[in-house]
Amino acid sequence: MGRQQIILAFIAAVALSGCVQTRQYADLEFSPPQGDYDLVVMRPNVQVGIVTTGGLVEPRADWTEQARAHLLEALRQQQAGRGGRTMILETREGVNGMPAETVADLERLFAAVGSSIVLHRYMGANLPTKRRRGIDWTLGEDAVAFGRATGMDYALFLHAEDSFASTGRTAIQALGIAGCLIGFCAPQGGGGQGAYASLVDLRTGEVVWFNLLQTSSLLPGVRFGDIRTREGAAEMVERLIGRMRAGRLVREQQRQ
Amino acid sequence: MARSRILGALAAAALVAGCAGGNGFGLGPGRYGLVRPGPESVAGGRMTVTPTLPWNQARRSYGDIAREENWTLNGPLLDSLSFIGGVESGKAIVRQRRRAERQVPRFRADMSPPEIASMIETFYRIRAGSVRFEMTGLQPRTFLGRPGFQFDYDHLDVNEIERRGRAVGAVIDERFYLILFDAARMHYFPAALPEFERIVESARLSG
Amino acid sequence: MTHEPTRRAILAGLGCACCAGIVPAAARVRPADMQPLVGPGYRPSEEDELGMWQQYERFEQEVAGSNLLIRDPALVAYLAGLVERVGGPAAGDLRIYLARVPEFNAFMAPTGFMVVFSGLLTRMRDEAQLAGVLAHEAGHFLRRHHARRWRDLKRRTDFFTILAMGAGLGGGVAGTYLGDWVRLAGMGTMLTLAAYSRELEAEADAMGVRLIAESGYDPAAMPAVWRQLIGELDASAAMRRRRRRDQSLLATHPAPESRMRDLGLSAEEVRATGRHYDRGRERYLAAIAAHRPLLLDDQVKLNDPGASLYIVHNLAEDGWNGLLRYYEGEAWRLRGRPGDGDHAARSYAMAVAYPDAPAEAWRAHGYGLLRAGRREEGRAALGRYLAAAPDAPDAAMVRYSLQQ
Repeated sequence: MGRQQIILAFIAAVALSGCVQTRQYADLEFSPPQGDYDLVVMRPNVQVGIVTTGGLVEPRADWTEQARAHLLEALRQQQAGRGGRTMILETREGVNGMPAETVADLERLFAAVGSSIVLHRYMGANLPTKRRRGIDWTLGEDAVAFGRATGMDYALFLHAEDSFASTGRTAIQALGIAGCLIGFCAPQGGGGQGAYASLVDLRTGEVVWFNLLQTSSLLPGVRFGDIRTREGAAEMVERLIGRMRAGRLVREQQRQ
Repeated sequence: MARSRILGALAAAALVAGCAGGNGFGLGPGRYGLVRPGPESVAGGRMTVTPTLPWNQARRSYGDIAREENWTLNGPLLDSLSFIGGVESGKAIVRQRRRAERQVPRFRADMSPPEIASMIETFYRIRAGSVRFEMTGLQPRTFLGRPGFQFDYDHLDVNEIERRGRAVGAVIDERFYLILFDAARMHYFPAALPEFERIVESARLSG
Repeated sequence: MTHEPTRRAILAGLGCACCAGIVPAAARVRPADMQPLVGPGYRPSEEDELGMWQQYERFEQEVAGSNLLIRDPALVAYLAGLVERVGGPAAGDLRIYLARVPEFNAFMAPTGFMVVFSGLLTRMRDEAQLAGVLAHEAGHFLRRHHARRWRDLKRRTDFFTILAMGAGLGGGVAGTYLGDWVRLAGMGTMLTLAAYSRELEAEADAMGVRLIAESGYDPAAMPAVWRQLIGELDASAAMRRRRRRDQSLLATHPAPESRMRDLGLSAEEVRATGRHYDRGRERYLAAIAAHRPLLLDDQVKLNDPGASLYIVHNLAEDGWNGLLRYYEGEAWRLRGRPGDGDHAARSYAMAVAYPDAPAEAWRAHGYGLLRAGRREEGRAALGRYLAAAPDAPDAAMVRYSLQQ
């Protein structure tokens, strides 16, 4: 939980600005996976809660279960459309020939790498040596070993959260925006979606693609695709992963 | 009725403005500068090193001491190279309040190598929040042309990442010189170790 | 989003009383009034609890897989055995994890798992004291404090927000990132040894005292724990020539004096005349003996010399030995003010006189002698270090020092 601090805090911070934002980064040579590949989703984390009047987000078990089920189903279908078989890794145990400790270490390394990507790409603390180099981060040899042990070509790390304003909160939102008319502006976050997804090519260990999605609503009662529903979950998967673009060099080649 | 439409329009405008804000993510540009391969004077100018790869130099922050400089290849969460260029006896290697509850011991010119290693360890335990800090080696090594030491260690950081470090240093004319490389044990430490060694071997006193 | 507002809101709640500085204690809760509110095999049924339960199940997965844990089977079994003894009706349901964090803290999750920090084992003098802390945490579980606190918080923040909007103040308070595990322990919805709600702490104290007395432990162990903590905080401040303890500590351990006083009164209330109560000192010392070097190492290397020396001297009430004298020396050495080197040297010299002196004591003694110009004795001491630990990671450096 704490390890994903930077990524989640970033999603939270920007979520207050009231719009849909998504920005993806990819390795220069990246092509979205196509045609007969195996993808493992690494212990995907989905959390859905309700925003109380006071602004606290209270987790809701039923909504979380629903959203998780719909998201993973939408993901399976979306990948199947490209030729991919999706496997969900639910626990760290039982990975062929790989101790749970190593799987845990890989997850932790990903959290650090993911946080670095957010820090140095999204948040503006750019590293000059990585200028115009796509993503340029790797999980290393242990990720390759993991790929061999599991027979997987790609690993997907996924986190999605959403919250929905309670009636009390919606009322507060309306009040908050109303204030702008009389000179006191205190927009109150009404709940929103945040998600990130990242693809690791297990044949090389490189992080080849990363995307961050933030939506939030300052408008009382306005929602962006309710992920508790099949349609809403499919919409999020489409925004987060479906619009996966190739890396810069591949796109330049395609143009020629 | 009309009021809520005005509200809606205003809010929509605010919405668009928020989005169009674009790079409002900013921690700001210029936090890292480029270090190109070649001789480079570091950490206040008393030491020169010659990297063979391009590095990212962190802009100085409030917590840095005068004779300190930090570089990274992949970002400080993953790897970090630190230079200390001649800290005087009686001074600390970090900025800290004099009455702070937990203090990094100040460098003293009469410290034995195990005491210097202990000073570095204390820094990790109280400033970097490491747990399970373990010395894996302490041996003599020539640095800057003088008798010095090489300190190898493993530790666990606040994000539960296993990390490894190597610090090479010496006390010269009662001043403390150090080059320290700390990185995630998985991939990042071994990947950059050869470059670290080249940098250490290339180090010269200057100025 | 899920966590950030929660933490902010909680810390906003903390912030108010913290600023006031002096925290009035809640009225003492009488142990006799503390009935468990849950039985064995408890499962939540209400919506808000279900949501939290799910989050904590995920969190427990993280904790169980964490490489901050101390997994020594004997020690973990010992702790689990204690929890079973004092866990009341939940004894069979509670799980305990030991994390290697040198702080005096523990926390209880509403799903029934407890995390105890190794700093606790550094400070406890006997089994009764440790059992008291575990029983206090079990008290949080048995009295459903998590759900009650969460609901209370919702009510209060709802009210606060409506009030704030009305007054045109806007909402939202910046929270502070406290560092991973300490933050997790303090994460508003979890109840730690040092959690903020005064009434709930008073309840857990009362429940805890009752549980340990019923299990045959001396209930006076509980106020003793707070007396020791107060001593430590005072010693830490005194050594840095501060008159008052640091504010940050006050925020997390509100009014330890009044808790100590109330626990003293409660202990007397539950004590049954004629019953023999146990401290379990021997059993406890045997259980943690193998881990003491590590516990002391982690504590002393934080370089809070007042606290570390207090702890060492406190433990030495059971008798000095080489280990304690060595760490006494380390505490002085790390402090490093003029004259401290001499204090350290004296402690090392005493340490090596004991048969259980750790090898490092010889190393420290040796370098100290060399620095004092007593070359022959210094070299002999370093030689003793190498003989005791020929494969030590710094053996090469020590051999080199001998050649100089």
